[in-house]
Amino acid sequence: MSTIRIRSPASYWLAVPAAAWMLGVVVVPIVLLVWVSFWGGRAFSTASPLTFDNYARFFANQTYLKLALSTIVHTATLMAVTGVLGYCIAYFLVMKVRSPGWRLALFLAFVVPFWTSTLIRAIAWVPFLGVNGVINQTLMFVGATQSPIEAFLYSRTGITMAQVSLYTMLAAGPVVYMLNAIAPQLREAAMTLKATPFTVFRRIVFPLTLPGVVIGQVLVFLNVMSDFATVATIGGNKHALLSNLVLLFYEGSQIRAASVVAVLLMICMLVGVVIALRVVDIRRLGAER
Amino acid sequence: MDALAHDPVEGAAAPAHARPQLDLELINIRKRYGDFTAVDGVSLKVSKGQFVCLLGPSGCGKTTTLRCIAGLEEPDGGDVLIGGKEATRDPPWQRDIAMMFQDFALFPHMTVAKQVGFGLEMLKKPRAEIAQRVQHILKSFEIDGLADRKPASLSGGQRQRVALARAMITEPRILLLDEPIGALDYSLRETVMLELKLLQQRTGISFIWVTHDQNEAFSLGDLVVVMNHARIEQQGPPEEILQRPATAFVAGFVQGNNVFRGRVKEVLAGMLRIETPVGMFLVPWVAPPPMLGSEVSFSVRAEQLTDALSERHVNRLSAVCTAVEYFGAVRRHVFERSDGEVLKYDQFGAHAARIVPGQRTVLGWPAEAAVLHAGAGQ
Repeated sequence: MSTIRIRSPASYWLAVPAAAWMLGVVVVPIVLLVWVSFWGGRAFSTASPLTFDNYARFFANQTYLKLALSTIVHTATLMAVTGVLGYCIAYFLVMKVRSPGWRLALFLAFVVPFWTSTLIRAIAWVPFLGVNGVINQTLMFVGATQSPIEAFLYSRTGITMAQVSLYTMLAAGPVVYMLNAIAPQLREAAMTLKATPFTVFRRIVFPLTLPGVVIGQVLVFLNVMSDFATVATIGGNKHALLSNLVLLFYEGSQIRAASVVAVLLMICMLVGVVIALRVVDIRRLGAER
Repeated sequence: MDALAHDPVEGAAAPAHARPQLDLELINIRKRYGDFTAVDGVSLKVSKGQFVCLLGPSGCGKTTTLRCIAGLEEPDGGDVLIGGKEATRDPPWQRDIAMMFQDFALFPHMTVAKQVGFGLEMLKKPRAEIAQRVQHILKSFEIDGLADRKPASLSGGQRQRVALARAMITEPRILLLDEPIGALDYSLRETVMLELKLLQQRTGISFIWVTHDQNEAFSLGDLVVVMNHARIEQQGPPEEILQRPATAFVAGFVQGNNVFRGRVKEVLAGMLRIETPVGMFLVPWVAPPPMLGSEVSFSVRAEQLTDALSERHVNRLSAVCTAVEYFGAVRRHVFERSDGEVLKYDQFGAHAARIVPGQRTVLGWPAEAAVLHAGAGQ
């Protein structure tokens, strides 16, 4: 047998392991989470009545709503910064670095940090951002400031700086892929049709890389929304986002409240992905050319 | 001509003496990539509305020459004059040219109408005019039904038309074509070639057509430029290149030539006696005659040979026939010479076959049928 036909018994059997895995570690936990978020009453048991009380409690609290709003603003800021920065890096790597050796070296320099875990990379920022950290010492050494700036560590600025460094490559990677797929002749053809380099970028290169930009934005969006580790390490306990709230409730054994926030977070992410899919049909990528 | 009549100051870049304005002039173009010389001292003049074919094997520098004209490559030395104006350092978007690429380079995200109108959009033409001209050119190329389609859903022939319409719509002075029909089915090529030739004659736009296919070059070109190893070997009308190849390379590259290399043994009045590994031959010379004893090469076209010998056929050669190919118009006999090289003899196809494979035959040709090549017989 050389090929496996669609909808043949063999194709279903081959899908069983992956399907079982997904069911066990994704579908069932999510169903449980949603279920628990509706549990009412005082006892933590499967016999609890189902109510909307947990959600009502969340939406009645101004602090939580502000937290949700600031999570969205923070994520949007990061998407904007990493989007612009990532596109510039990708464009530079693909279009400007001509030597293959240099391209590989730079690419590795960008990618190697990703071999360590997100938590470690987040913690690694602490000695940089602190009052006596590398950044402050450098600034004082060159005379840019007299006293150390305290705004870096345990602040929104510090969190943003660390997360930009963590997630810019997520925004750049898909753009690198899309830029590589653009045949040089397309740009040349546009130039012979009297398009200046900026117009070539605006009318040819950018539209063709748009799917990559959107995928990168989705990756950054999902990662920032769910990143509690960086916020906890760099932000200390002064700053929190929705994901930290889940952890807070969980540590306080408020499982029902934790699952409410988790469900709301998941809904936010789903909405974001759906919007992205409306802009670009990711599943049809590659079939285009 | 009329362009020279007004504004003599503008023409200061070109010599002021009266001559018809050229659409394109290349003066001693040179281009190197590291140690590799891609174009070496190429000079070319294209007068108004000429169809020029750059012909040569792959890697001969014909595409690089075209890219230098387009401004996609900057030559290391030499000048590019477009319409009499110096354009060597101009970027592509400031040159009065359009280009058609080998794989058509259609923009995958634009509809046919959008990309055909792209050039006019860049020229900042009003919307209504763009729409009207796009409509018109799509109609004349018989692709108006495809206006809202994207390139991915078009066939090869349709893409070729879209690419051509996109390049032609701005009515450039020169259209550069890089193997424009190489990507088409073989059956389509002949029709498309004829269409393009008629289009060129109708519009009066100069075409510079790069190809490795000599059928294309000889049937289309007013001027054929044969290139090899980054240099121009010969340029002239098709008849001249076919009948009087200037170098051994051209003779060998153009189908139907028999090339001989040898040494000058004797210089007679108007004739050379040349000694080759397969015998002595008489070849007419054109001034100045080569030195006695120098190495030379010459060629004879396959249809100039005959096996029905008379005293006119002073050059004779005995060879064994290895194959006979019948094309209808001609019957080609392939012989093996005693030095192992191939000798081709074309007989008018309507005549009866006289030679069978395996047969040894004496073939001859009159002295004036041979063409002496310039330069040493490399």
